[in-house]
Amino acid sequence: MNNKQYVVGIADMKMCRAPGVLVTYALGSCIGICLYDNVIKLAAMVHIMLPVAQGADMNNVYKFADTGVREAVRKMTAFGAVKSRMTCKIAGGAKMFETFNNAEWGNIGERNIKSVKEALRREGIRLLKEDCGANYARTLYFDAATGIATVKAFGHPESKM
Amino acid sequence: MDMKNYEKQDGMGYDALREIGSIGTGNAATALSAVLGRKIEMTLPEVKLVGFDKAIEELGGPEKIVVGVLTEISGEVNGIMLFLQNMEFINIVLETLLQKKINDFQEIDSLDISAMTEVGNIIISSYVNAMSDLTGIKMQLSVPSISMNMLGGIMNVPMTMYGYTMDKLMTINGTFKCDDEEVYSRLLMLPDVESLVYIMKKLGVAN
Repeated sequence: MNNKQYVVGIADMKMCRAPGVLVTYALGSCIGICLYDNVIKLAAMVHIMLPVAQGADMNNVYKFADTGVREAVRKMTAFGAVKSRMTCKIAGGAKMFETFNNAEWGNIGERNIKSVKEALRREGIRLLKEDCGANYARTLYFDAATGIATVKAFGHPESKM
Repeated sequence: MDMKNYEKQDGMGYDALREIGSIGTGNAATALSAVLGRKIEMTLPEVKLVGFDKAIEELGGPEKIVVGVLTEISGEVNGIMLFLQNMEFINIVLETLLQKKINDFQEIDSLDISAMTEVGNIIISSYVNAMSDLTGIKMQLSVPSISMNMLGGIMNVPMTMYGYTMDKLMTINGTFKCDDEEVYSRLLMLPDVESLVYIMKKLGVAN
């Protein structure tokens, strides 16, 4: 990976064109959403933390799945992407602590996954691939030149999607 | 005191937190020393309020592989206790308790996991007990759970729990020293905002 890398922080979004790679580290229950327009090679990655914005703290739209997806799609459209061409790949949504049984937070990963999928459906964007769930953290790379997402995790082989 | 978020906390509040933290960590170090039969000290805890990315960076970076033992606090205050240990610390524990040494996280078996959970549990319990005695606040601890993974992923748990109210984490953390050498292991207390206000009131710091 000798291309330029852009690090996407927590509750953050970055966009880039080819050649460029977007990366976000150690997604636990958070989800990395890779949006891509293949024709103009424009890629965006959102790192969301929580499923739904409850009117709380709207300073940061990228913290939530619903507002994060909507805003990222809007920004991409502003940079020339077309919704009907856009595709999506997601990773994350793990359950880090097996016996963490607080009902509200224990399955936050699952709720994140569900909310991201709903948001994508609302925007009419195809979800091509996903690497979600289980109990391990993932580091996600997204190559703007090819639209290929790479997932690295501890104790698991690197996987491309 | 009406505090909607941690940022309203002033210097005096930090001092009070550091003070009760140091009593907690002192107790935790004594307990650990008794279990391992080695000289264990803990540094004076740091009280920090930092953004999510920065908090993870300061704890060792998102991709650092650590073992985290997590316990929920409930009762009069709510929050999370998280004990993070790296390879070095794990080896100190395993050498003493199970007479073995590991070079790779993949070698860890279920007995090791159990030993590490127990050590984490002892440390956390003694910290919380000391704090509870000092402040007169009743705190219950949940059964500990353990995760061996990237630090960033583990830190997702407190981040998501407080994510709706905060963009930052308040951490009260201490580092262990074993036989005068510093080993990477962090004991973090992450209270939620209301609990923090409650603790302050009990200590008479808040007006």
